[in-house]
Amino acid sequence: MRGFRAITEFVIRRGFLVVFVLVFLFFSVVTRHFFELGNLLNIISAMAPLAIAAAGLALVVMSGRLDISIGSIAFLSCAIGALLMRTNGLNPILAAAIVVSCGALLGALNAFLVVVLRVNSLIATLSTMIAYRGIALQLTDALLVQLPPDIRFIGNTRLGPVPVDILVMLLIVIPVHLLQSRTVFGRRVMAMGNDIAVARRLGIPVDLTGFMSFVLSGVLASLGGILTTIQNGAVSPFLGSGWEFTALAAVVVGGISLLGGRGTVFFSVLPGVFIFEMIRNGLTNLGANPYSYRLVGGVVIFAAMYADALKSRQSQLSRT
Amino acid sequence: MKELSIKRDQMDRFGSRLRRKFFPHSDSSNSWAGRVPNVLTAAGLVKWGLRLVLLVGMLVLIDIYAPRFFRYQNLVNILLQASLLGLMTIGMTVVMIAGGIDLSLPANMAIGAVLGAMYMRSGGNWMISCFIMVAVGLVIGLVNGVAVSRLKMIPFVVTLAMMTVLSGSAVWLTNSLSISQIADSFLSLFEAAPIFGIPVTIWAAASVTVAATVVMRSTRFGRWAYAVGINASAARVAGVPVERVVLISYVISGLMAGLTSILLTARLGSASANMGNDGMVLDIVSACVVGGVSIYGGAGRIPGAMFGAVLITVLSNAMNLVGVSYYLSLIIKGAVIIGFIAIEGRKENANE
Amino acid sequence: MSSSQTVLRMEGISKAFAGVVVLREAGLEAHGGEAIALMGANGAGKSTLMNILGGNVAADRGRISINGAEVAIRSAREAILRGIAFVHQELAMLPTLTVAENIFIDDLPTAGLFISTADMRRRSRELMGRLGSKISPESRVEELSIGDRQLVEIARALRHQPRIIIFDEPTSSLTEPERQRLFQVIGGLKAEGVLIIYITHFLDEIFYICERVTVMRNGETVWSSPLAQVDAAKVVHLMLGVSAGEGRVREPITSQGEPLLRISGLRRAGALKNINFEIRAGEIVGLWGLLGSGRTELLRSLVGLDPTDSGTIFWKGKTEPGLVKTTPRQLHREVGFVTEDRRGEGVHLPLSIRDNLTLPNLKSLLNGFHLIDAGRERELANKMMGRLRVKASGQDQSVGTLSGGNQQKIVFGRWLAANPRLFLLDEPTRGLDVSAKSEIMNLIVDLANQGCGVLLVSSELEELIRVCDRYLVMNRGSLINELPGSASAGELMAAIADVGDENGSWS
Repeated sequence: MRGFRAITEFVIRRGFLVVFVLVFLFFSVVTRHFFELGNLLNIISAMAPLAIAAAGLALVVMSGRLDISIGSIAFLSCAIGALLMRTNGLNPILAAAIVVSCGALLGALNAFLVVVLRVNSLIATLSTMIAYRGIALQLTDALLVQLPPDIRFIGNTRLGPVPVDILVMLLIVIPVHLLQSRTVFGRRVMAMGNDIAVARRLGIPVDLTGFMSFVLSGVLASLGGILTTIQNGAVSPFLGSGWEFTALAAVVVGGISLLGGRGTVFFSVLPGVFIFEMIRNGLTNLGANPYSYRLVGGVVIFAAMYADALKSRQSQLSRT
Repeated sequence: MKELSIKRDQMDRFGSRLRRKFFPHSDSSNSWAGRVPNVLTAAGLVKWGLRLVLLVGMLVLIDIYAPRFFRYQNLVNILLQASLLGLMTIGMTVVMIAGGIDLSLPANMAIGAVLGAMYMRSGGNWMISCFIMVAVGLVIGLVNGVAVSRLKMIPFVVTLAMMTVLSGSAVWLTNSLSISQIADSFLSLFEAAPIFGIPVTIWAAASVTVAATVVMRSTRFGRWAYAVGINASAARVAGVPVERVVLISYVISGLMAGLTSILLTARLGSASANMGNDGMVLDIVSACVVGGVSIYGGAGRIPGAMFGAVLITVLSNAMNLVGVSYYLSLIIKGAVIIGFIAIEGRKENANE
Repeated sequence: MSSSQTVLRMEGISKAFAGVVVLREAGLEAHGGEAIALMGANGAGKSTLMNILGGNVAADRGRISINGAEVAIRSAREAILRGIAFVHQELAMLPTLTVAENIFIDDLPTAGLFISTADMRRRSRELMGRLGSKISPESRVEELSIGDRQLVEIARALRHQPRIIIFDEPTSSLTEPERQRLFQVIGGLKAEGVLIIYITHFLDEIFYICERVTVMRNGETVWSSPLAQVDAAKVVHLMLGVSAGEGRVREPITSQGEPLLRISGLRRAGALKNINFEIRAGEIVGLWGLLGSGRTELLRSLVGLDPTDSGTIFWKGKTEPGLVKTTPRQLHREVGFVTEDRRGEGVHLPLSIRDNLTLPNLKSLLNGFHLIDAGRERELANKMMGRLRVKASGQDQSVGTLSGGNQQKIVFGRWLAANPRLFLLDEPTRGLDVSAKSEIMNLIVDLANQGCGVLLVSSELEELIRVCDRYLVMNRGSLINELPGSASAGELMAAIADVGDENGSWS
């Protein structure tokens, strides 16, 4: 009985590691092309946009809140940029700047709802998720918006063997990680996630910090959107759909507690997103039904949430 | 854990400065909490008055811009749609009253419908098919309930995960096609035999509403559910079997999903994975919020929720007739939710 | 001692909350380099007085002066700027952050964009070193014991070079070695000229580390002198204002009634150690002890709200003679249980009086269809309201709008309808005004007179000595003593003076 307990303890704590290794081994053994450098780079490349958006979500989660509108923010902001480029022939750099500003604004709206109107962040971002997507679908008529031909090539550039997307991802995620772990803002975010009342008592500007966390989340979502748009060469009506869910799962699987106050960006988001992309890639390689991914993904998420619930119960007892 | 269990934050200077800028005259008013049986407070009357005004206002606008609305066929249609939405809203209401949330309702409904239809397609008896649909709903509700009450998982994530799994499964099983080989006897029961000129579906919704109202008002479970939603620890001290109540609330929600699968399949004449799309969750939550059900738990009444469902259906239908695009309608509904929640959230929750 | 000695003077401080007077011209005077003990029973006003000094509450009248100059303290930040630090009983810690981060969280040192962790680490080490601690600044607070966390809290306070430090019940959760360490720290601070205000329930402590004592009672300062001029008994007398035996509601009895409850070997790691006792019909047993002694934990474990590791509960069944083994869950259905957190766990505030009263009793109100009979419901509510003399506009009034005393009656009312034979009461008069307290005390005595057994937990000694037939004394999770009803207040206070488990372990 003791041994059983010890094993379950280990699984819960390092559960993610266990799952990761198991899944990796499984696919490496069962499929032919999985364990090749090219394929692995593909996985990392494919996961880059989501990883960027998930980094933003991670910040909000660590502050003790939720933002499930990231996919819709990515979609709407990129749709606006792409449309401006197509109809007004706008310069791509300028368009990118506008996309990021949109991301910031949409994030600020989320922030307004949660911080000023005091609406629960789940409900607020659930509503904005649907509203933003609605607007974007309206603007694009639910059709593809192609990028101007001269930009489309970027999606395939590589720096040596390494695709540029991976570098872009690192270039964005690493600063966010540093922001969270080494700056005053980051520490304030963690303080809020620990105990918002105590943080307030200590004089930490909780509302301002919370506001900025949502704005940042919006900016990062839009950056992720830009990357995926470049990868696809167009803004698809499915951009970002399901991101919130996978990002949330990745964040949890990677070790960031949904209760807030715990975790780091780099070492949680990247492995977490990698696992899901790896599963998708593996299933495709196996020739499995494309719909099976949602199923498997759902199960993994369920298991991850369960482990998180158990972990948080233990840590709740130790926090008092 | 606060955000995930839908409890609110407190104020502080930045937020309150912004707040004072936008709402200079607001203060924490004594809002109606929708207490168990009838407590007519001044605030309660105001809120209901607001809803009535909204409804009348909409009807007037509709009369001006889309007079087709008032045709008999359209009104019956609306009641039919509202009945279906209403059934699921009742399920969501019960769960919300007990302090949870069930995002998997539409997906539950869809997969139940798909499974039942597949059974009928392979030549099965329509009665057994109905049984399957309800059973699927109950089982899924049970799984949700166990996850939340015994495994202590967070309702939002559990039902979100469930929603993904179910909709993924539904798409997989049907290959994104819809199943239209529905037994004729099934269809005729619901379509061709209206009682006193009112379709069976509406009767079903009405009776469920009555039954649910009685359950929430006059049974132990109903009282317990409100107690748990308001304050689970106080309920526990008072001897309420908190875990059992939460479990049952999700099972009831699953039951409602099952009933809806039957009725919706009959109405559409087919079943598909798309039956429970994203917009439906929004509709259900809107209906609850507009109907006075508190997303924080412990408040709200079944008739109110039904009324909310009717209101939302009228809104959708009206927007449709006026020619508002689907996407714009989503935005409007989102704004409606935020609006009602922000207004409701003004009160200083005495429990916290 | 530093040459410029701080002099703190609080004079004529008055404060009322919603019409209830909490402080009446209270005052305090102290000098730097000494520790002054602030004593008083619950509700005497010491916390409010300190909250005013600490900037959390604004006084209605009165003045505070430091070194002769009057100061206005309008917020906690201002208090800190004026050199006043408040170490609360509930530590303001952020568990997942490091010690250094916790110390500096409101003013993190930066070099450009980033936090200068090396600087922070160095300064943390210095501050903690002043407190005699070698805890690494990089360790996470959640890994530290409460005693160590307290040191971090003090270190954070020290950052602002305070001239005055207020300690509010600092030792309730400390082990003995940690307590000694705290005393050393306080001694060191005194040597540096800091003025210490020390609030505690542990009488013996103040004779150890304080030089002066100020006693408050009912919002007034009733005594202020060097500590050498008083002894423990006098302090108790000043705090309570009554001698033993005064104002008894009911003289202590030795119950001849049958035993209702027997507890044997109740244990829970970290909270309860081998609890054994018995309660008979008709007697009121006081469970006496300090915060953290395990009284609430004991009560909650009896009814299953908290788990237990081992132990047996014997209860007088309805049909069988004598005691029968039972489970906490069963017991929950048979006894009345009043929690110490009235608003948080005792009632459902938004619900009506009727809904609150009937909630645990719904089973008895079911009609043939298993539905709740509204008529019988109203009847039950009326009956209870009448019996308890609840002052309200009607049974539809929401409990949240009732006064504290009436709310507490509703809590009792919830259980009365089932006519339980045993009541477990946890701080039933907390936060109530004098007349409400009386009413509740009378109610308790009534219940005992009718043959119920009562286990009463209270931190208000003056209350316990008015009704109890005997006392069970708890300390750090064990029942250390039993005293007869005739025991004096002094004897009871002495009984809980911290005996101090040498190794301070919880096994």
